[in-house]
Amino acid sequence: MAQETLLKVSNIDVFHGSFQALWDVSLVVKRGEIVALIGANASGKSTLLNTISGLLHPAKGSIEFEGKNISVLDPFQIVTIGISQIPEGRRVFPTMTVLDNLIIGSYNRKARAKKEQNLKMVYELFPILKERKNQLAKTLSGGEQQMLALGRGLMSDPKLLLLDEMSLGLAPIVLNDLYKALKEIRERGITILFVEQNVRRSLKEADRAYIMEVGRVVLSGDVAELREEEEVKKAYFGV
Amino acid sequence: MEVLAGLTTPIVFGILLGGLYTLIALGLSLVFGVMKVINVAHGDLVIFGSYLAFAAMTMLGIDPILSLVMGMPLLFVIGFGVQRFLLNRAFAVSLDAALLVCFGLSIIFQNFCQIIWTPFSRSLKPPYALESFSVGVVNIPLVYLLDLVTALVVMLLLREFLRRTYLGKAINAASQDTKAALLMGINTGRVYAFAFAIAMAFAAIAGVFLGLTYPFTPTSGVAFLIIAFGVVIVGGLGSMLGTLIGGMVFGLAQTLGGYFLGAVAQMFVAYILVFVILAVRPQGIFGR
Amino acid sequence: MRVTIPGLRGGLIPFAAVVVVLAVLPVLGMPREWLLYLFLFFIYLAMANMWNLLAGYSGLICLCPAAFVGVAGYTVAIGTWVGLPFYLGIIAGAIAAVAFALLISFPVFRLRGIYFAIGTLVLPEVLKAWFLLWRPVGGVMVGRGAGYAVKGVQGVSLTEWYWVALVIGIASIFLMRIILSSKLGLGLAAIRDNDDTAASSGIDVFRLKLYSFVIAAFIMGMAGAIFYSYGGYIEPVGAFSIRWLLIALLATVIGGEGIKEGPIIGTAIVVILHFLLARYTGISLLIQGALLIIIMLLVPQGIVGYIQKTRAYRLLSKLASGR
Repeated sequence: MAQETLLKVSNIDVFHGSFQALWDVSLVVKRGEIVALIGANASGKSTLLNTISGLLHPAKGSIEFEGKNISVLDPFQIVTIGISQIPEGRRVFPTMTVLDNLIIGSYNRKARAKKEQNLKMVYELFPILKERKNQLAKTLSGGEQQMLALGRGLMSDPKLLLLDEMSLGLAPIVLNDLYKALKEIRERGITILFVEQNVRRSLKEADRAYIMEVGRVVLSGDVAELREEEEVKKAYFGV
Repeated sequence: MEVLAGLTTPIVFGILLGGLYTLIALGLSLVFGVMKVINVAHGDLVIFGSYLAFAAMTMLGIDPILSLVMGMPLLFVIGFGVQRFLLNRAFAVSLDAALLVCFGLSIIFQNFCQIIWTPFSRSLKPPYALESFSVGVVNIPLVYLLDLVTALVVMLLLREFLRRTYLGKAINAASQDTKAALLMGINTGRVYAFAFAIAMAFAAIAGVFLGLTYPFTPTSGVAFLIIAFGVVIVGGLGSMLGTLIGGMVFGLAQTLGGYFLGAVAQMFVAYILVFVILAVRPQGIFGR
Repeated sequence: MRVTIPGLRGGLIPFAAVVVVLAVLPVLGMPREWLLYLFLFFIYLAMANMWNLLAGYSGLICLCPAAFVGVAGYTVAIGTWVGLPFYLGIIAGAIAAVAFALLISFPVFRLRGIYFAIGTLVLPEVLKAWFLLWRPVGGVMVGRGAGYAVKGVQGVSLTEWYWVALVIGIASIFLMRIILSSKLGLGLAAIRDNDDTAASSGIDVFRLKLYSFVIAAFIMGMAGAIFYSYGGYIEPVGAFSIRWLLIALLATVIGGEGIKEGPIIGTAIVVILHFLLARYTGISLLIQGALLIIIMLLVPQGIVGYIQKTRAYRLLSKLASGR
């Protein structure tokens, strides 16, 4: 596996108003990896993703993507340089068709040129979306909506995919398909950073993982090493 | 039978007037849908559009409808600027701040019209404004028919725009879920500015047809704002058909109110209707 | 018995001195025009204080001050036509405004945020349409409109009206302070921090907001009733005009929404503006509209809020409290 650093978050502090949500958080994602960000509710995982996506800006520290500082960019600029976030709760556009949802994913100028090519890839990954392309997004099942959200994110032609709580409210069997899809997405050269509450599952699917607690990274490493520590963590996360 | 025959005229007129109210409401609905703020200056901007056409007609001798070639781009640019330089900043403060900025705009446009064109009542009266034709027992003024036809054409164009273009889809997306739209790489600030600008171009169209249908004064805007708001709540957000039906509900309320209670009660009936709908179903009757 | 006015501890004596000076101004031979502007200042101050109570402390963007003013003004005017002395009419006007507020609270309090704002925006227009048609007493007027003269006010001098306005202006300041340190004020502060948390901790959000709404209706109504009693004539277009809203809103926003002292400074600026631009009505309103936007965008916390944030002010208040 390639070892070139794609994303480097260094010592960031992030505030929601006067409330500090992240404390001195650092994280590295290398090209081609699947990295898990694990933690309980309100541990700051989503805040970290939103900061990478440019929805929030760090008060301290830096975020580098392919060696360039991106911590001051706006969300739409972040998408254009190749970072796409699939938000928690899927957030598909309910009264737009499946196809329109996907097309909106290719809104940034770079992705527009590759629209057909990416659409083909999404349909290969999730054939069901092709079948349902003229249906309104709100008529899809939860799992299908998650596939649509993933597909929509892929349409932006990302180098790095940020996934927030993909498993929320989904049956394990549906989840298996989704994780399989993640592996395929990685095969196509897209790096993945996903946020998850389920420790066991995350450690199974990822290459490396970061564990967060109340706004700080408390543990990180290869999943194999972390699995050894899992016994200790059991009580913590109530797995 | 006699009553029914008498009712035909107000019903036909009400439906046709519904077109005018739909036209006025479209811009308000677009801005409300995308930015979740009621542009309380919308009525005044529509009236400003009426005055622009009035100026074009009296000073340059240009037909009001033709004058839209200038009026629409002008209001489009004003709208874009207002959103980009005023409302976007107000949103950063709060939604209430945006509402109050709109209120300030309302005062400014109202009094601008008052200063330039005096408080006297004006109307747009090109030769065809006086023409009418008969269908059965009903004598229909041409401009009333134009109101409805224009509303249908504009709605159709807006629908195709929202469906077929990237910008249209982005406007649609931003109105459904701003955060998700941001994450899709949509520059929502820019999309808002376009949405507002388009809404203002619609205000220009609505202004011309309002001026052809009714006399207007610089302070007429509030009345039409309230009716347009009523149309938006009846129609719900994101439903074009709903907006058209909402327009007709208010057209009919007005003409039937006038028929049963006398011409002076027309507006009163429409206002009470807005209030009743607000109290009973603020989330709208159609739409999502 | 010792009466303490909350929020005025220590400041009561200078405050009383200012009030006394204001009260004797007419006797000292202040020019009539100045007196008139001070009269307006107190009326507008009462309006602004109440708008501040609603928008700044209760989270209610209430766009219908004109409804309270107009209803109260019409109550006085019509009252004097059926034999009610105008001074009782002023009280009756304020009560009528409260009755109106209670009546409309049923529909409008079902509305939240922006819907509440628009719901209240409709009210003055409905009333204007109604009072243009309705003529309960007296003969039919020539032409449009139901204008009424207020009877029996000819003998009252501007000086006396000035004192009446002074009373309501000062009363509105005291009322604000009392409300803010009362249970109502504490409840409102909790709501302002977080609507849902307040509701779940047993605070009756609806009732507290309704209290503010009714109190504001009373004071605004009384201010309107005094204004139209002084003027001696009321007609629908003026009484239900959007200008009443603009005055209350602008004075509050200029001074600082949600700041006790805000409306005093804001109202002073509005009145000075009215004075300077008195001869150019249209431009005056245009400038006020522009000023509203400028303040909202550049100093959304208002002038008083801005000053309070400056380092000099903090230093001074530190010195004052730590002397």
